[in-house]
This record gives sequence, C-alpha cells and structure tokens, in this order.
Amino acid sequence: MKRTAKILAIDGEDIVLKSISKALRSDGDTEYSVTTANTALEGLKLVRSNMFDLILLDLALPGMNGIEALRRIKSSYPLVSVVVMSGYSYERTFLNEAANNADGLLSKPFTTEEIKCLVSHILWGSERCT
Amino acid sequence: MKQIGNLKYTSISTRISILLGLIILVTMGIFSAVSLMKQEEDSIDSVSRSALLLSQTTEKILRFSMLKNRRDEISMAIRDIVGEQGILSVRILNHKGVIKFSSRQSEVDEHISRANQLCANCHDKGDDGARYPASSFYRYHLDKSNDVIYSSLPIYNSPTCYNGDCHATAAQEASAGAGSLRTVLIAHSVHDSSQTILGFIEIEVSAKRIISNLDRSRTELIALTILIALMASTVMYFSIRHLVGKPVTKLVEGTKRVAQGDFSHEISAGRAELGTLAESFNHMQRQLLSTQSQLIESEKLASVGKLADEIANQINNPLTGIIVFAESLLKRPDSGGAEKSDYETILREALRIRESVRNVLSLSRSEKPNFIAVDVAGVIRHAISVLEKFSSFRNIQIITGMPKALPKISADPGLLEQVFLNLLLLSSENMPAGGILNITATLLEKEKQIEVRFADIGKGLPDNVLQALSDQNDKLESVERAGISLAVCRDIISLHRGKIIAASGTGAGTSITIKLPV
Repeated sequence: MKRTAKILAIDGEDIVLKSISKALRSDGDTEYSVTTANTALEGLKLVRSNMFDLILLDLALPGMNGIEALRRIKSSYPLVSVVVMSGYSYERTFLNEAANNADGLLSKPFTTEEIKCLVSHILWGSERCT
Repeated sequence: MKQIGNLKYTSISTRISILLGLIILVTMGIFSAVSLMKQEEDSIDSVSRSALLLSQTTEKILRFSMLKNRRDEISMAIRDIVGEQGILSVRILNHKGVIKFSSRQSEVDEHISRANQLCANCHDKGDDGARYPASSFYRYHLDKSNDVIYSSLPIYNSPTCYNGDCHATAAQEASAGAGSLRTVLIAHSVHDSSQTILGFIEIEVSAKRIISNLDRSRTELIALTILIALMASTVMYFSIRHLVGKPVTKLVEGTKRVAQGDFSHEISAGRAELGTLAESFNHMQRQLLSTQSQLIESEKLASVGKLADEIANQINNPLTGIIVFAESLLKRPDSGGAEKSDYETILREALRIRESVRNVLSLSRSEKPNFIAVDVAGVIRHAISVLEKFSSFRNIQIITGMPKALPKISADPGLLEQVFLNLLLLSSENMPAGGILNITATLLEKEKQIEVRFADIGKGLPDNVLQALSDQNDKLESVERAGISLAVCRDIISLHRGKIIAASGTGAGTSITIKLPV
C-alpha cells in the first residue's frame, strides 16, 4: 500500500518551490501531493482550508517572516509537522528558536536525497537523517 | 566691575592667589593687633613705672620739707621737677582731695571731686570706706583724650608724721598771771595716728611720644602686612599658573582633541601628580585608540559576514534548483550516456559550489564579537571534544598541557573557539595518516600574556602560506584552504590584540603559537 503525504511548501522563490515539487515527486511506495505558496499569509490561508501532513517553511519570507508564521501554525495546528528551511548563516539565532518549535531543519541548497530523507523520517520515522 | 557670579569663570591661579592674600591679611592683621596691644600696654606700664619711681624719689626728697612744713621749698622742688622726661605737672593732695601743692599755681587749694579717677580708685562706691588695702595702693591711668598718664603714689602715715613736732604752728596763749597775751611757739601734731594715707603725690606724664610711636608702628605693620600679602599673592599666582595652569590647559586641550576624535595627541605634564594624570590620560587615549580600531575591525568582520551571508543566500536558492533538477534529469530513463555524463558534471559542480559557500559561511561571522571573561583552556578543551567525534581525528593523539589556574582573558569565546577549531582541522589535514598533536597553554607573567601552542608532527605548511602569515598581509586568502583558515585565525587573534606566529618546515611538522593579552 502506498504512503501518501500532503505537503505545503512556503518559500519566496519559485525555483525553490519548483525544486521541492520536483524532489518530492511520487515514487514507488510514496505518493506526495505538494502545494506551494510564495508568502506566509498565502500559506496560512492554505493551512486553514486544507489538512497538510507536513509544511516546509522558509525563514526569510517577504512580509511576515518564517518565525512568526511558524509560531502561528504551531499555535493553531500543533499536530502539523513543520520543517524550517534557511539559506542564511546569520539566522543562527532564528534557527535556535525554530529548532525549539520546528520538527526539522533543512539548509539550502539541498539534494533530492536530503529532502526526501528528512520528510520521510519526520512523517514515518523510517530513516535517520541529519 | 565684575559680578561675584563671574567668580566661577576666574582662573584657579587668580582664585588661590586672592585667597592666600586674604589669609595673610587676616592672620597678620590679628597678629599685629595683638602685638600692638601688648606693646601699648608695655610702653604705658614702663612710663608709669618711671613716673612711680619719680614719685617715690620726690616723696623721699620732700618728706623732710613736709615734716618741717617748708612750703616754699616744696613748691620750688615741684616746679623744678616739671619739664624733666615729659613730666607735665606734679601735685600733692591731702587725703580729703584738696590740692596743697602744685606745679600749676592756679589749682592750689582746689578741691577735686570724688568722681576724679584718683579718688574713684578707692572711693568709687561713694562712701568713705576705701575698697583697697592702702598698703598696696598704687594707681596709674591713661587719659586717652589728652594722651596723658596720671601716676599717683600715696603718702603713708608714719610715726614721724603724727609724733613729730615738725609742723609747728604759732598759737596764742593767755598768760595766767599778768593777764597779758604772749605768743609762744607750740608744737602739736597735724596728723592723727589712725590715718593710713595722708595724701598723694600725683605726677602727670605726657604719653604723646609713646602714642605717636605706637601709631607709627601700627602704620608700618599695616603697610608691611599688605605688602607681604600682595607679594605672596603675586608669587603664588605666577607659580600656580606655571605649575598647575599650564599643564591643566594642556590636559584640557587634550580632552578637547579627543572629543573631536583625535587620539594621536600625547600630553606631557611633568612627573608629579599632574604628570601622572597626563600619563593616565595618555593611557586612556591609547586604550580608546585600540578599542576604536578593535571596534572598526569587528564592524568590518561583521559587515563582511553579512555580505557573505547575503551572497550565499543569493546563490543557495538557484543552487537548490540546479541540484534538484540535475538529479531529476539524471534519473530520467531516457537520458543517454553522453547526456548523463553532462548532468553528472552539472550536479558535481553544483555540489562543489555548495561546499565552497558553506565553507565561506562557516568562516565568516555576521554577529558582532561579544567580549567576556574567558577561560582559554576551557575553550580549547571544548573545541577538542567537538572534533574528536569526527573520523579524521581517530588516529590523532592529542596531548594537552594546560594549567588549571590560567587567568581569564577578555575575548569572544565563539571566535576563539573558531580559531582553535581551525588549528585542529589544519593539524588533522597535515597528518592524514595520524600522529601526535601537542597543545599547551602557559601564562607569560612578565609579558602579561597567555601563550597557546599547537604543535604537530605532520607534513608542514607550504612556505608561501608561512610567508604570507608572517607578512600580515591579505595574500593569505588567495593561497589555499590552509591559507583561508589561517587568515581567519589571524583576523580573530588581531581583533583580540594578540599575535599568531607559525613555524614549519616540509616534513618537520607545524608549530603555531598564539599570544593573547591577559
């Protein structure tokens, strides 16, 4: 039986969203359905109207930043898993805070293997990723 | 005229000089007044004692004439005395206050009132009883309005006075038998034996000379006091201006220049207290200068870090796309051999860029350094504990020699750890097959520094890296990874006002020494 997962990716850059969609395409035993959003507000709207299994959230978003979005998501939907993505090193302090609330951290750029490993580990605990 | 409120704008030398002048004026004024009073007392006393001596002599000379009632002799003697040594008048009074003899003929037989000082000395209560024992009676007083001293000596009663028949008076006695009058000389005493004092000899002496002498002394003392006060004030004014004013002005100028951002101006102000102050000021200035350059350095580091971050982020997002899409292309079943090789190249190079970017990010720091008291040995131990878990350290034996009681230094523990991590990684790269790394930390008490040494037995550093490090220039970054790593160490150590020295030879191991101020 195929594993299914509804994923929401929130990032300001389309290339990152496209890459996530590409990396998390359905394979043999897993079926991913990836929805994307460019801003935190758009993402939050989608979160309210859909049931996602996992949210990939960038920290450096235009408008509302990722930390604030993470706080809102976790306070309204504590059961949804959230992976925080970052390409900055100076967000170390943000990352510290994110590490306390997020279910996983993913630094950009990532490989297909890295993102798939992390997502499946969080959702099904099947593999160990660092 | 300047208002008192303006005093605060008056220079310190002027104020102290005025104060000193006033202190001298008041002190010497009090001293002069006291000494003048004493001098006046002594002079009057001396003149009065001369007058008393004269009175006693006069009394002795005239005693016989008085006993014999030779009035002419007495009058003449009195007149002769006047004129000697400032004696203005001599008079003899009886105890009832009647002037019996006087050098001033006009006042003979005048009756002086009880209010007169001479009577008042003893009879000041208006009764007949004298308050003072007659034996100790001698008085003088100064009449300041006329500059005259009155000296009065009592003429005491004695047996020769009340027993003697000297005061012969003519009396008429009726002859008992013939009924005729005959004049006989009978002798009887004029004074009663119960009387203590028969009268006074009063001598009036001029005090004009003494008083004018005293006036002159007073004037001279006042002039001298003012002169000394003025001279002392002037000397003090110029001394303070030279010894205090000038160095203080230099200090003030120095602080102004520092306020304007000029830290290069050194102040010289002798060796005494102001010299110490100037030296402290110079020291503070040097500290400020070093803190400023440290601040500039840390700002530079922070901004470089931020820039690196920005660039990294700009690269990372598209790089995500390149990596994921290249991977996707590679997995496509229709991608042939030549295409597959191209996709692999794209992926490999993209991953290489990712590594380079991560290296740069790990070497740069965007946070401003946070200097706190740091235990260097503790930081080194932590760095070792982190890296020991990596496989590259499995064959390396790390031997540490660090005393427990090393003083703490002011440093950013994160930055310092980055230096030690870099040096540890460098050693592991120099000893790929394993080896021994010696790490020591010692306190150089004389130099007030902590010396940290990393010595390995590896292949050694290339000459160009060593040369670039000792040149303290920026060529280091262009050398290679070891160079970049050392460049970061050098920047961090110089931010801590320390020094980094590397010694190495091909195949002879590497020894890197860091000196940090305590």
